[in-house]
Amino acid sequence: MRYMISMRGVEKFYGADKPALADVNVEIEQGEFVFLVGHSGSGKSTFIKLLLREILPSKGQITVAGQDMLKLKNWKVPYLRRNIGCVFQDFKLLPNKTSYENVAFALEVIGKSKHVIRTQVPEVLRLVGLDEKIDSYPHELSGGEQQRVSIARAFVNRPPLLLADEPTGNLDPATSLGIMSLLNRINKTGTTVLVATHDREMVDSMRKRVIALEGGHVIRDQNRGVYGYGD
Amino acid sequence: MSSATRTEGSTAMGINVGYFAKESVVNFRRNWVMSLGAVITIYLSLLLVGLSIATGIIIDDIVQSVEDKVTIQIFLKDDAPTEDVQALQAQLLGDELVQTVDYVSKEEALDRFKEDMSSSPEILDTLNDNPLPASLDVSLADPRTVQEMVDRISGNELFPKVADRPDNPEESLKYGQQIVDRLFSFTRMVRYVEIAFVGMLALVSLIFINNTIRLAIYARRKEIGIMRLVGASNGFIRTPFLMEGVIQSLVGAVLAILTVTGVQAALIPRLREALPFLPVGLTTGTLVQIAAVLIGASVAIGLAGSGFALRRYLKV
Repeated sequence: MRYMISMRGVEKFYGADKPALADVNVEIEQGEFVFLVGHSGSGKSTFIKLLLREILPSKGQITVAGQDMLKLKNWKVPYLRRNIGCVFQDFKLLPNKTSYENVAFALEVIGKSKHVIRTQVPEVLRLVGLDEKIDSYPHELSGGEQQRVSIARAFVNRPPLLLADEPTGNLDPATSLGIMSLLNRINKTGTTVLVATHDREMVDSMRKRVIALEGGHVIRDQNRGVYGYGD
Repeated sequence: MSSATRTEGSTAMGINVGYFAKESVVNFRRNWVMSLGAVITIYLSLLLVGLSIATGIIIDDIVQSVEDKVTIQIFLKDDAPTEDVQALQAQLLGDELVQTVDYVSKEEALDRFKEDMSSSPEILDTLNDNPLPASLDVSLADPRTVQEMVDRISGNELFPKVADRPDNPEESLKYGQQIVDRLFSFTRMVRYVEIAFVGMLALVSLIFINNTIRLAIYARRKEIGIMRLVGASNGFIRTPFLMEGVIQSLVGAVLAILTVTGVQAALIPRLREALPFLPVGLTTGTLVQIAAVLIGASVAIGLAGSGFALRRYLKV
């Protein structure tokens, strides 16, 4: 398997009129770090949802982590998701659980043993730099720290693919930089990382591959790219 | 979470069972009003089912014993020729439907009557003569053939010659068929009413369970979202909700079983006292069967109710 993500001729219609995505051909190799940029309404969310198989394409072919999305049975979708770590703008942490418990929850519900949980959770929290805050509740943490917990939760199962949807949307520039360098570090372990964002400065400073969407079309796909010109 | 609890149950199975049980208990406490409503309606419907099975069995026993006692009495006129009576007795004994034919003389009939009326002797004082007719008491091999046998007796050419009232031979025959029929039609009607009630209560319990599970799903939508995100299997997400529905209905079933047992323990001795001539009672085996039916029904209701809710409110 060469590609972590492959989309060929993908189209997605929600209604009858304008497609949310049209004629998308994208291939992302294992171990790449890719930015997906575009305004709201450009098709970023649809792109992410297709990868998680929350929705199916109206047309075209998609494979993610070696799985053909069109052939994947519904009951197997959870097993696909175990190969995809997810990070969101709103962190999606459980407020009544500590950092440790939030990360442990992700392992608990996929049936990992207590032994695995006891060793992996502290380790991943150390990796994201939160070993001091292991027993803190989300409301006791800053936004950046909460996002680190959510990255720890996404990465604790060592998935081959990490999707981040606007991971720095709620954070100030300095904190955002820390989050991006953490994602970069995770990428260095061999994990493919896809970051959807409209944080122009971040994209320009990282000099990674950039896929730009507009009106559902890929308008630019370049290595070591920047956010865009002018707009 | 202390380190002590983390060391317990290190197998994946252990985690799951503990996790599911914990979730069910937490949900039960979070929605206790709805849960209580569900438990009460299930309790009432299962109680009704249990009581109707129990009374059904008791009534069947009574009907059976009444049927066993069904005899046809042929009342004889006082001057019936003895040879005709004996000939009729012999013919009836030859009939394959008949088990025994007993001749009851006027004196014996009076003795029986006196025995039955021993509690009100003043009636006996008014009797200066013996008004009771002699009779032939025919008992049958199979009580269901009463009507057929009655027809055969009425058709016998000897019958008008010996009958107490030859002008109206029907009056000279007494048999328990009417009682049995009336008993049956009464119990059948009671059964229909019970079925209607049980159906309604079962529907209400389904609605209650459906609602508790809907609230539980709503209360836990964040957890569910994260579970889906990290790849918890559909079964893993659904199981706590199914367990919650089943636990609720099992609680209702246990309460219903306890009530049925209590009611029978309290009532049956009194019924026996009041109706000493009838075989009123439930064996332990019957009670166990009723309990098994109620438990089975409760599991079915619990699974159906939470299953509906999961299909409607939990898209996985």
